[in-house]
Amino acid sequence: MQSLDVISINIWQIIISLLNLVILFLIIKKFLYKPVKRMLSERQNTIQKQYDDAEQAKSDAMNAKTQYEEKLSAASLEADGIILSAVDTAKAREKEIITDAKQKADGIILKAENDAKLAVLKAEDSIKKEIIDVSTVLTEKVLEREISADDHKNLIDSFIDNIGEYDE
Amino acid sequence: MKTNFKFKVIDIIYILMMILPVAFSITLKVLTTPVSDGISISGAKIFFEIPMPLQNLIISESQINSAMVLITIFFFCLYMTHGLKEKIELKRQHFAELIVEKVDGLVGENMGEYFSGYSPFIIAIMALSGFSSLLSLFGLFPPTSDINIVGGWAILVFFLITYYKMKCGPLNYLKGFTKPISLLAPINFISEFATPISMAFRHYGNILSGTVISVLLSSALAGLTSMLFNSLPGFLGEFPFLQIGIPAVLSIYFDVFSAVLQAFIFAMLTMLNVSGGLDIDEYEKRKLKKAQKALKNK
Repeated sequence: MQSLDVISINIWQIIISLLNLVILFLIIKKFLYKPVKRMLSERQNTIQKQYDDAEQAKSDAMNAKTQYEEKLSAASLEADGIILSAVDTAKAREKEIITDAKQKADGIILKAENDAKLAVLKAEDSIKKEIIDVSTVLTEKVLEREISADDHKNLIDSFIDNIGEYDE
Repeated sequence: MKTNFKFKVIDIIYILMMILPVAFSITLKVLTTPVSDGISISGAKIFFEIPMPLQNLIISESQINSAMVLITIFFFCLYMTHGLKEKIELKRQHFAELIVEKVDGLVGENMGEYFSGYSPFIIAIMALSGFSSLLSLFGLFPPTSDINIVGGWAILVFFLITYYKMKCGPLNYLKGFTKPISLLAPINFISEFATPISMAFRHYGNILSGTVISVLLSSALAGLTSMLFNSLPGFLGEFPFLQIGIPAVLSIYFDVFSAVLQAFIFAMLTMLNVSGGLDIDEYEKRKLKKAQKALKNK
């Protein structure tokens, strides 16, 4: 079999090898470089999207947090208001109850005084009767004579009335 | 499960198609090599010639081998990008991404923003040169040790350099030859054509020298073996003891390291020369002027 010399230049071989390189360039571009690049850019997009999502979620969370904090402070204010108004109403009610109680107590005292006055009157009456009776008996014994009851009674009444006047 | 099975079958087809061209080349080599070659350093074997104008087209070993390399790289690309996903599932995807990202970084570093589309071309040069040179690991004729093959690439690079020099106008291109002083014009002219020639010869010479040294060494070791062990009886006297391990160690340098290094150097020189061909500032100025002119005409 024939061999080429170590250095032998053949124009067609040169052109073919040049074309080979161009063909290989196209092959590599189409089948290795482009797919890998496309995949890399897709991955880049996905990662960017995930970052954006994370950022979005974080800002949402921050918004929610500030909202909750606002609500919480509003609620505590409201609670304070409720407590204050409750205290007010309680105080008002307390006053009411106390005045009621005072009024009732006054009524009771008044009634008691009236009762006491009545009792005194009754007692005076009964004492008068007793005294009349006793004095009647006594006078009968002292005088040892019967006087008419009517005279007797008038006498004693006048007497007791005098006594009553002295008492008062 | 079914899709998984299909996936695996396609994978196996790709791997087979990567191996088959090399196997074909090895078979061809085995069939066409005479039994006792001796030590003869010659170029590629000629399979047949096609009559063409100017010169006959020679279909030689290097042509066949580089075509095989082309097929191998094509299926290698298909294999690498098979099952490409955003979430990495296969180990080969790491490698594919590594290649693309490294070369992108290299191109961005050495060529600049304007030439960012050159990454696939640089990958192509590296792959073609590297795979071609590494064919010598299989005992095949590396196409890169044929000046025609490397010369073709260098001429393509020369075209690219000239194209980018012409971008600032043909007049500017011609003016560039008289740059420091007009006396240097002939030397500048020569140096213009020296670039592709030096690139081609550097690559070709390095790979060829590796082959030559390997041949010399193996024949020297054969001689040494027959000298030392000739007295052994029968079969042992002819057994090439010294040729077992030593050529393999040297082959790490001459075949693997040199092949990868030359591919890298060729790609590097391509990047530097092509990007050096375009004077970016001048080009931007011309573009601006053109835009202003167009605006005025309107």
